[in-house]
Amino acid sequence: MILSVLSSPALVSGLMVARAKNPVHSVLFPILVFRDTSGLLLLLGLDFSAMIFPVVHIGAIAVSFLFVVMMFHIQIAEIHEEVLRYLPVSGIIGLIFWWEMFFILDNETIPLLPTQRNTTSLRYTVYAVKFLVPSLILLVAMIGAIILTMHRTTHGAVKRQDVFRRNAISFRRTIMRRTTDPITR
Amino acid sequence: MVVLASIRNGLEKLSSYELSIEPMSGSCLQFRISYYMFALVFVVFDVETVFLYPWAMSFNVLGVPIFIKAFIFVSILIVGSVYAWKKRGLEWS
Repeated sequence: MILSVLSSPALVSGLMVARAKNPVHSVLFPILVFRDTSGLLLLLGLDFSAMIFPVVHIGAIAVSFLFVVMMFHIQIAEIHEEVLRYLPVSGIIGLIFWWEMFFILDNETIPLLPTQRNTTSLRYTVYAVKFLVPSLILLVAMIGAIILTMHRTTHGAVKRQDVFRRNAISFRRTIMRRTTDPITR
Repeated sequence: MVVLASIRNGLEKLSSYELSIEPMSGSCLQFRISYYMFALVFVVFDVETVFLYPWAMSFNVLGVPIFIKAFIFVSILIVGSVYAWKKRGLEWS
């Protein structure tokens, strides 16, 4: 019963991501999906993954999605008008994805999800490279994003203000000076 | 009382207020890039922390080589954070 309580909102929210009119709603519905998926992982007994899911997926990934939507003012209504035009290609891709999901569920070759008890010793000895490669990926992501935002464009540097100087500007020196000085021209 | 008061929204009531003329364009404030920088750095270090949780649970039985590998892992990310610091990406201005 708990399975259906958790999985049906996940399915509905997943559908609403694509159908929502407001683009911010499209980002908020995956948060519901992640929450339900975390509950499903708890039901499977994978407590570590279930606790990481809200931290990483909601706290980091959904927040990044939200930044993308709000920075670039994505208008979902324009995308919805074009849905029928893209239906053949998107239908084929959707069917391939559907087939992949059933293939994974029916097949026994996919290994179990790791829990803390199973693979801590494995992760750092056998899979040590897989432990260090994500750090390089994260490094590249951070440096790339910082370069892209802080890069000097031809118009000039990124606009900044010095907060302490801004607070230290005195009213008397800037405004009063212009009104009390004799006009010399 | 909130439930009892009837709300009837018309087309005129729902449009935004702009001094009796039609609203010109979508209202949006200038985006401050430092919000995004902090969210980005938070994402990176959050994922790093998640990688460090299983190590923290069992590093006492794993020995010195594993400790050195975790040290390399953290130091690679410290390089990134020093870069962000030097490029003044984490300033609130």
